[in-house]
Amino acid sequence: MKKIVLLSILILLSIPCCMVKAADAPENLAIRAGRIWTVTDGIITDGVIIIKNGKIQAVRKKPDVPAEIEVLDFSDKDVMPGLIDAHCHIGLSLDIYSEIDETVLAVTPDMQIIDAFNPLADDVKKVLRSGVTTVLLAPGNKNPIGGQTAVVKLFGKKTKDRVLKRAAGVKFSLRDEALMPDRRPTSRAGLLALIREELNNVKAYKEDKPDLRMEVLKSVVDANFPVYISTYTVDEITSAVALVDEYNLNAVLIGAEQGDEIADLIAGRNIPVIYSPLLLFSRDKDLKRVVNMADGGIKVAFSSSAPETSLSDLRTSAITAVKYGLDKEVALKSLTINAAQILGVSKRVGSIQRGKDADLVILNGDPLQPTSTVEMVIINGDIVYQRQKI
Amino acid sequence: MNPVKIEVLINFMENPVVMGHKNIILISSMLLLFTFTSAFGDQGIAIRAGHILTISDNPIENGIILIKGGKIEALGQNVVLPEDVRLIDANDKFVIPGLIDAQSRLFVMDSELDESRTIAPELNILDAIDPFIKEYREVLAQGVTAVCVAPGSHGLIGGRSAVLKLNGSKNIDRMVLKADATVKAAVGMSTGNTSSSLARLEHYSSIREALIATKVYMQTKEKADREMAEYNRKKAEYEKKDSGKETEKKEKPKRPARFRSSPASDVLAQVLRKEIPLQVEAHRVTDILNVLRLADEFGFTLILDKCTEGYLIADEIARRKASVIVGPVSTSFVDMPRLEYRNHDMSNASILSKNGIKTALGVSGRDGASSKFITLAAAMAAANGMDKDAALRAITLTPAEMFGVADRIGSLQVGKDADLVILNGHPLDTQTRVEMVLIEGKVVFERKSQQ
Repeated sequence: MKKIVLLSILILLSIPCCMVKAADAPENLAIRAGRIWTVTDGIITDGVIIIKNGKIQAVRKKPDVPAEIEVLDFSDKDVMPGLIDAHCHIGLSLDIYSEIDETVLAVTPDMQIIDAFNPLADDVKKVLRSGVTTVLLAPGNKNPIGGQTAVVKLFGKKTKDRVLKRAAGVKFSLRDEALMPDRRPTSRAGLLALIREELNNVKAYKEDKPDLRMEVLKSVVDANFPVYISTYTVDEITSAVALVDEYNLNAVLIGAEQGDEIADLIAGRNIPVIYSPLLLFSRDKDLKRVVNMADGGIKVAFSSSAPETSLSDLRTSAITAVKYGLDKEVALKSLTINAAQILGVSKRVGSIQRGKDADLVILNGDPLQPTSTVEMVIINGDIVYQRQKI
Repeated sequence: MNPVKIEVLINFMENPVVMGHKNIILISSMLLLFTFTSAFGDQGIAIRAGHILTISDNPIENGIILIKGGKIEALGQNVVLPEDVRLIDANDKFVIPGLIDAQSRLFVMDSELDESRTIAPELNILDAIDPFIKEYREVLAQGVTAVCVAPGSHGLIGGRSAVLKLNGSKNIDRMVLKADATVKAAVGMSTGNTSSSLARLEHYSSIREALIATKVYMQTKEKADREMAEYNRKKAEYEKKDSGKETEKKEKPKRPARFRSSPASDVLAQVLRKEIPLQVEAHRVTDILNVLRLADEFGFTLILDKCTEGYLIADEIARRKASVIVGPVSTSFVDMPRLEYRNHDMSNASILSKNGIKTALGVSGRDGASSKFITLAAAMAAANGMDKDAALRAITLTPAEMFGVADRIGSLQVGKDADLVILNGHPLDTQTRVEMVLIEGKVVFERKSQQ
């Protein structure tokens, strides 16, 4: 009996303690920085960012911070918005034995990649050091009409903090990988015929007989639901552009490696491109293609296609592009705000602006120098990575 | 020799169709001129540079490098220029030694890397070199003047590697700076993304067996050599006596059985005599430890290649004084996922070098052209804790030392080959461009102004 009383007292005591502690946790945080790369509003030197409830409350030059706010001092460091990897496959328990595509069927628009995402997977935690805070998760390239992509953050206490878009668009693949010997389509021409057939079926679709797949395709044709079309060669890109014209699609190209050959065609329709990791290439001609595309007026974002390459090399892609002639400002935007706009999440992420999510990366130098290191990563105001000194 | 002429020559060689007849005549005369100037006109070149990163010694500000006969004749702030010297003005620029990719596949055809024999030290990568590939010019344009190419990772002992210069020669003998630079081996490689402990043990024990067999071979050979010498001596004696006193009958010495020499064992014998280092590709801790055990047992000079998990056992590697070629710095250079890279860490090179281990960096890319990323590899190592100077050394002097060519290349020192790179900024900066590359005093690359 005595024990129980003691226990109750202890519990009673601990409740207010916990509450005090929760209230103490820094809802407000200020970051003093040598340089703030706002992306949308230039570089602010010796500035401060005030974070409240996970959002950016203020960005300003004069570093006067109210006394009650905890300050992280990075006066000799650089702060930029969290990087956005515009195409990858992490957190999908994708080890060397598993698949991310439903390959028995060719058309699976009802499949949602978010259902396979494990935010606590090892590969998600491990890549926080890369400075990437937001990613587009996508199915693979084996379905002409594949599943739906999602936009998620690599950390978030609650689902709503973590998932920016459960369904960001439908993935199409015009690549050779979508051709299978044992199911339709088996040819490139057949692949396009199949996609057209499916999109045409939307007209005859009656909602009184619900069909999940048709519902999704209907929103693609009728409601501007985005399509992410994976392509590589000039002919695949040309086919993708033809589909966009025929069905008035709200399209984003993934890959589009040879897109610079027909940059005018893509730029003329304002189709953005999520480019493949640059370290997959080695010839000068290929390394310059993304530069040519950006110069040709195409809005470009970078991607890691992880696990194909490492998320740590998202920044390396931009750095390599700069080495091959890409304008530094464009490179920085491609890593952040351009990617956010392409993925339709620029209201929340992609730049350091008042009202946006406090997703920040602190580096020990210019973000576009390969010698700069990520020192700290903040997502929704929470410190999720801090570099250990060796 | 005017670099502009070289540029024209190169353009001609790469786009022969677009050139008119007049130009061809011009080019022919230039070719003649080229032959003359290179053969007779070695009047010397001097480079006046803002920052000379010698690598071996302290950097020199506002110095001069004097080149004669393809070698660095003088270097410093107070070099007296001969009158007829051709002066290259790089007042506001950086000069560094030519870069070396220690893990290159340049000039090597893909198919040549997949040898099927397991213990084949007698194979020589030089027999698989294609000097006609064009990618080398892109690699050269990034400041790489030498590469080490080794047989692939599939054979346990794949063969002998070589250090090649990117001097544009189509004569393989002229490209070779050093043949038999190392004997390349690999242990614990996964196949089809799976690996069993049994297979890894087999790799280790097969190499061990080959080395034990080599020891026996060496003893047998030594014995046979002794017997043969003895026979030769007796034979000479017998023949001498034979011609002298005919009366005294003496037994004719019996010729010992002929020793059958083996090219493979001869190469491994050189390894055991420490004449050629053994370069072993090993990724995982268990495999690296196995290789270190082999080094303990047989006492060869060890270069650990790739050494992906080396940072976890840096003390063990340091204790054996083994050197390491870390690569790739980033897993993006290899087809992923692969078991060998499961614990890949960007700070591997940094940790190893901070433990006093001689650490070189290699690109270890997908193909030959990837060697152009060598400065990126160094910059990424620097970003992950390696000292910037150490990172530069890891792509110049350190690999030169490892491959036994530091008397020729790897640093800017009097007497060394004039293989150097002129850049418009620090070599590890993103926006730095290579302006000019010289190999043995000849301009082999010059950047066009708009590039």
